[in-house]
Amino acid sequence: MTFFKRFLVLFISGAVQVFFATYLLLELLGLSLGWHLAYHNIMFVPGILIFLGSGYLTVSYYFFSDEKANNSLYDEFTAVRYYKLGAAGYAINGIGIFILYSIQDWSNWNFELANNMIYQIAAFAWLVFGVLMVWFSMGDYKESKSG
Amino acid sequence: MGKSHEKLLNNLEGLRKGAGLTQQELSESAEVSRKSINAIENGVYVPSTVLALKIARTLNCSVEGLFRLP
Repeated sequence: MTFFKRFLVLFISGAVQVFFATYLLLELLGLSLGWHLAYHNIMFVPGILIFLGSGYLTVSYYFFSDEKANNSLYDEFTAVRYYKLGAAGYAINGIGIFILYSIQDWSNWNFELANNMIYQIAAFAWLVFGVLMVWFSMGDYKESKSG
Repeated sequence: MGKSHEKLLNNLEGLRKGAGLTQQELSESAEVSRKSINAIENGVYVPSTVLALKIARTLNCSVEGLFRLP
């Protein structure tokens, strides 16, 4: 495992997640771009990428990487970056969920609207963590090269 | 003292260069990434106690020689 390989895994997984989450969130908020996915099973792609990507990272850590590379790739500075972005993600999600609650039509509340709101929250959280994954991957790789 | 974090002054760059080590060589001895060493030298990051001790051991100096409070 190298910094570049990790960048590729995280960036591709994150970017695909951002694409699908944005599409879903716009649809759910009634802001459709007038373009629709013809084949909805493709929505499994980001989940499959995350599953394969995290599996690859885990297996490479335990079986296909030496101690020197692991010390470098998974040190405390990287952990701090990860924690900071994770904390930012939870904070942004909190604000987002508050906003999503605020924009609901509570006067005509029904199960369909409740279901839609749950999907909106899920899509928003998905989008936030996709963006953070892309952000982490770019910063991590840039620092490994220059600073 | 080199560039320092607001809560911790450090002399890492000077001691590292005095020992004739590159950031990469120091990072391998201290079992961290080169960017961690760079971040400490530039005052971006305050290392853990364990990492500070590892760096001090590699540079054959005391932790107090590497870091001090402002």
